[in-house]
Amino acid sequence: MAQRMVLGFGVTEGRMGRFLVAAMALGFAALIAAGIAAAWSTARNEAHTRDVNHTYEVELAIDRTRIAIEQSETTRRGFLLTGDPIYLDTYRSTMADLPTLIARIATLTRDNPLQQGNLAKLRALTDDLARQRERTIAAAQRGDRAAALALFVSETSAPRMRAVRTLAGAMAGEEQRLLAIRNAEQRASVRVFYTTLAIAGLLLVLVAAVTLATVLRYTRDLATSRDRVRDFADTLEAQVAERTADLTRANDEIQRFAYIVSHDLRSPLVNVMGFTAELEGAAATLCALIDRAEAHAPEIVTEDARLAAREDLPEAIGFIRSSTQKMDRLINAILKLSREGRRVIAPEPLDLTAMIDGITASLTQQLAQRGATVTVERPLPTIVSDRLATEQIFSNLIENAVKYLDPARVGQIVVRGKRDRARVTFEIEDNGRGIAPNDHSRVFDLFRRSGNQDQPGEGIGLAHVRTLAYRLGGVIDVASELGQGATFRLTLPVALTDATIVATSGKAP
Amino acid sequence: MTDHKTVSIVMIEDDEGHARLIEKNIRRAGISNTITHFTDGTSALDYLFNAADGPQRNGPALVLLDLNLPDMSGTDILAKIKATDGPLRRTPVVVLTTTDDKVEIQRCYDLGCNVYITKPVNYESFAQAIRQLGLFLSVIQVPDMEPGG
Repeated sequence: MAQRMVLGFGVTEGRMGRFLVAAMALGFAALIAAGIAAAWSTARNEAHTRDVNHTYEVELAIDRTRIAIEQSETTRRGFLLTGDPIYLDTYRSTMADLPTLIARIATLTRDNPLQQGNLAKLRALTDDLARQRERTIAAAQRGDRAAALALFVSETSAPRMRAVRTLAGAMAGEEQRLLAIRNAEQRASVRVFYTTLAIAGLLLVLVAAVTLATVLRYTRDLATSRDRVRDFADTLEAQVAERTADLTRANDEIQRFAYIVSHDLRSPLVNVMGFTAELEGAAATLCALIDRAEAHAPEIVTEDARLAAREDLPEAIGFIRSSTQKMDRLINAILKLSREGRRVIAPEPLDLTAMIDGITASLTQQLAQRGATVTVERPLPTIVSDRLATEQIFSNLIENAVKYLDPARVGQIVVRGKRDRARVTFEIEDNGRGIAPNDHSRVFDLFRRSGNQDQPGEGIGLAHVRTLAYRLGGVIDVASELGQGATFRLTLPVALTDATIVATSGKAP
Repeated sequence: MTDHKTVSIVMIEDDEGHARLIEKNIRRAGISNTITHFTDGTSALDYLFNAADGPQRNGPALVLLDLNLPDMSGTDILAKIKATDGPLRRTPVVVLTTTDDKVEIQRCYDLGCNVYITKPVNYESFAQAIRQLGLFLSVIQVPDMEPGG
């Protein structure tokens, strides 16, 4: 269940994360695009405004020129009528301004060839006009009013003025046309600007909404996951307790089974052994009878009878006896194991260095016989565990190491321990005969042994060690090659707590 | 010890072989008291408490009790015999069984068992133990039954 849930979280988180990032990226990209568009359309708008203003300026300049031409004509006519020099002065100053005004138009309409053409015509017309006017003014100044008048009448002044007016009108018209275009462009760019702004605003709202929705959903999912994890954690303890109870029950059952089996096997064994003894007694009586018969009446003793009484019976009885004795030892071993499993474990702080020294001291004689040494890499870590069980484990392992040394080498046994967080790993390394790799798990099984069967034993020691190690919340394994020595590795918890004890409460039947 | 002959031995043992071996060795120890053998708890209890020639009505007895019986636990029989106001509460009970579990031994003594003997698998030890039990039986004083009940 835990795995499935973790998997579920993973998928949701990944999908959510990817979606979120994609949505945000898309949204912000759109926003940036909208911003650029807005800036671009603002710049366009400014350019259009500038163009419109320019057109207005051109129109203004054209109007001023027109007014100057009209004014000069008016003042000239005033002078011709009255001869008053005030009109002449005004005429002169107006005419003096005219080139500047025309030049201004030229500057402003530099980029418009149509207006440049118009301007060239305007210049030609005004120049003609100026020359004509100078002639009439000169005649008037000479006092020859009749000549001046005649000149005025004959001159083509009026049509010229009309031409000037038409031209100025055309120029103004051209500017009006440009103005209309530019106004339209400006309005269009303003529209574009507002549209862009609206789209950007819409996008912003959209991105905000999507992001908000995603974050909200994500948060909700997270909260749900958190709740589920919390619920799971809450039930975890109950689950562990349940499993532990199951385990304890199973263990109890095995212990009871072992106990009952071994116990009930003893009853028939008592009979077998008892009646074998009776049989032996009876055989001895028979044997004595045969002896007597041989002494007193040898003719009644057949060879078969003699063989049966003297050889077959004792041999059969001997085999029955040795087999039942072996069976008795095996049953006792099972009984001992099951009893060990039911023993109450009492954790206490253990000084393993002292414990191993004690075990080594008890093996002094065997060690001396074989010329072997036990080296303890001191100090060994201290642990809190059951003294009896721990001592049993180490003494079994060290005894085994001594027992199965290789006679071809000087025996060396090394005991070391290393703490790794909450567990301590002990190693009992020897340079003895070793165990073939395919026997590694077998040697821990009850009644199973490995290698040359030249040492006494029932194959109980390591089974016992493993049972004890399990009971102490530990594990044991072996690393070895045949003929290369063996290293037994025992891992125990630093502190044995009630929770780690595989408790058994089975009662003997 | 003049009334030894009158003390009957009640053996409750489901294994015929064991019963035979026990009887043989008791006889070899020179004990000639009657031995009444039961292979199950029900008939044994019936004999102990109700039979006309049973201990309750008919004088002192000694019980040899095996704990592993087919129909009930030997400790149940022990508890019934040793019940506080029971008529047989002073009857000596020798528990003779294969169980050598400490807890079980304690429990039997708590219930009032007088002697607890583990049957050794080794026959020499077994025979030895039974003979010694026989010696013990030859010197043990068994209380008389209280009248009535």
